[in-house]
Amino acid sequence: MNKIGLIISREYTTRVRKKTFILMSFLGPLLIVGFILLTAYLSKGNKEKYEILVVDESHLFDSILRNSKKYHLQWAPNDKNYSQIQEIFKKDENLDLLVYLPVNLIKTNSMTAKCLYKEIPSTGAQKHLSSIINEAIELYRVSYNKIDISTYKSIKTRINLDVVDVENKANRNIQRKAFVGIAFAMFIYAFIFLYSVQVMRGVIEEKTNRIVEIIISSVSTFQLMMAKIIGVGLVGITQFIIWAIVTFIMSITILPTIIPNKYSPSMQMNSEESTDLLNQSLNIDPSNETLQFIIHDIQWSYLVIFFALFFLGGYFLYSGLMAAIGAAVDEEADTQQFLLPLTIPMVFALTMAGKVIDDPSSSLAFWLSEIPFTSPIIMIIRIAMGIGDSSVEIWEIALSLFLLAITFIATTWLSSKIYSKGVLSYGKKASYSDLFKWLKS
Amino acid sequence: MSLNNIIEIEGLHKSYPNHKALDDINLSIEEGKVFGLLGPNGAGKTTLIRIINQILQPDEGIVKFNGEILSRKHSQSIGYLPEERGLYKKMKVGEQALYLAQLKGMSKKEAKEKLNYWFEKLGASNWWNKKIEDLSKGMAQKIQFITTVLHNPKVLILDEPLSGLDPVNSLLIKNEILALKKNKTSIILSTHDMNSVEEICDEVAIINNSKKILQGSISEIKESYNENLWTVKYKGTQMSFTNAVWGGWEMINNESINEYTNQAEIKLLNDFTINNFIKGLIDHVEILEINKKIPSINDVFIKATSDE
Repeated sequence: MNKIGLIISREYTTRVRKKTFILMSFLGPLLIVGFILLTAYLSKGNKEKYEILVVDESHLFDSILRNSKKYHLQWAPNDKNYSQIQEIFKKDENLDLLVYLPVNLIKTNSMTAKCLYKEIPSTGAQKHLSSIINEAIELYRVSYNKIDISTYKSIKTRINLDVVDVENKANRNIQRKAFVGIAFAMFIYAFIFLYSVQVMRGVIEEKTNRIVEIIISSVSTFQLMMAKIIGVGLVGITQFIIWAIVTFIMSITILPTIIPNKYSPSMQMNSEESTDLLNQSLNIDPSNETLQFIIHDIQWSYLVIFFALFFLGGYFLYSGLMAAIGAAVDEEADTQQFLLPLTIPMVFALTMAGKVIDDPSSSLAFWLSEIPFTSPIIMIIRIAMGIGDSSVEIWEIALSLFLLAITFIATTWLSSKIYSKGVLSYGKKASYSDLFKWLKS
Repeated sequence: MSLNNIIEIEGLHKSYPNHKALDDINLSIEEGKVFGLLGPNGAGKTTLIRIINQILQPDEGIVKFNGEILSRKHSQSIGYLPEERGLYKKMKVGEQALYLAQLKGMSKKEAKEKLNYWFEKLGASNWWNKKIEDLSKGMAQKIQFITTVLHNPKVLILDEPLSGLDPVNSLLIKNEILALKKNKTSIILSTHDMNSVEEICDEVAIINNSKKILQGSISEIKESYNENLWTVKYKGTQMSFTNAVWGGWEMINNESINEYTNQAEIKLLNDFTINNFIKGLIDHVEILEINKKIPSINDVFIKATSDE
């Protein structure tokens, strides 16, 4: 084995043999699945059933307000006033909510219904209450205005807007696809930082151990730096593959047993959307619909290939810089001043993700997905939203990868200059001016 | 330029942003000899060693290894024990030694065989599966010494090899260095321990303020710093001693040992010989002992570096 291969092998094997790596390989997918379950659980609300006391001053709602098992309505006694009913509500432990419908609510648009709670109801519950009250008022007014109920139903049609690209019919509902992109972007973000920080730590370790001087008497500093970056990068890829396999196995074995047939990953993404899906679930099985969407509407082959390319590009770009930081300091505590400028572009990219999803062909989306320090995150979101005119064109991806590669080469070259000087500079906390001096020399 | 020189350094310059580390250094190191590289802290020794190890590149000048311009292929023929020692703390001793040996171009099998030999020789056989962090400083230094010499380098560069070692381990390593010297390994020894220099080195060079100020064999250097100083132990008075010989010498010091015995330190001037001095002295005092005062390498070092 040549020397570079030997260093790569050491960097790789010492890390994958660590207990923390083995632990994280299984804990990671558990955390992912756990996170999905938790968000699904939280968005669903932790209450299986709401007991709701309704104060209907107009006495017009009792026959038209839709009752259900989950949101179970019971009517407040007519002989008590509102404040007495509030006292009853406070004392009765079985009651969760008190809905107050003022006398003129049904006739005017200016009144407000009230909902009093002991524990704040979920947004789903709030939406449901608002929806059944509106529905009841509409039904009352239909009847009051002597409109035929079937005419009303034909007017009151709920339609789903299918947003389709005229040039490419496969490009539809692209905003929804962005959630898959966000998940991939989060992975890229986490992996880039997780592993480039490992490169930095490795450099600091070799420097503080003083062994670096022995190694660089056998290989050049550039070779050592690159071998370290490649070795740690391979650890990252290995970890990702393990996560993918374990997550896949867990999702086909554990998830269906925990969540019976109504689980839909999209439900936890957006409460509005989840309510829509809940409504639709009266007619369609959402898990099937979502499954269809995940399987057919996402361009998985492209997504996985570009994920790998942008992860590697971003990792190489940041880990080169992290190696330079590691070389410039004597201990990890001194890295803060240099780390902040590196984290800002990535965090900025994540915060801008919403705007990019909103308008994936805007100039903001274009530039953020071309600038190499933000492109790994933003471009993967745009790719997930569909390659083609509506989100991102292939030439934009090619240009982005090209710029990422060029910048990676340039920063690695600059980093290696800092690295080669830094690793031999002991006992002194380097400043930015030192880094510039090392770059110039 | 001799054919026997393993390392030849010509016109070497190296500057850092704030100071000059090496200024026109010329050196030749003979094959199979131990070469002492001496100088005060910050003189430029470590920079020179790092250039020979190709850790740093010179601004100007060339380094030749066995007559060829120094290149990466020569790194396998060099063993380097830096002053700032260290190993991977979490790695096991055996694994680490194998890794470093392979970096020096050895095969795993060959490295294993040689490691077994060296581990046994230095009493480290039981350490193979221990982590470096579990070893004492002295034990770790032994391991590092083994990894430095394992690949039978043509040139061994030892920067303060005995520092931090207890007397027993220090003697052990010193004996190993002498054994390597016997086997004709060329050694560059950088140290402040002047006793070791006198004991081990054949030749020395002193670097001060980035310049080479002296180079030669131990005996040549001592001779060149010989000031013709003598100590004379005699029975008689100091007055008799001083008046015995007129001219050609000067008294440096006189110390009374007891009522009748003194010891004088004298310096002979110009061509005045010790025989001339004894001839004059012999009729006035009883000469008990005469010794020539030869400067130690420590004296030479102090004199050479303070003269600069």
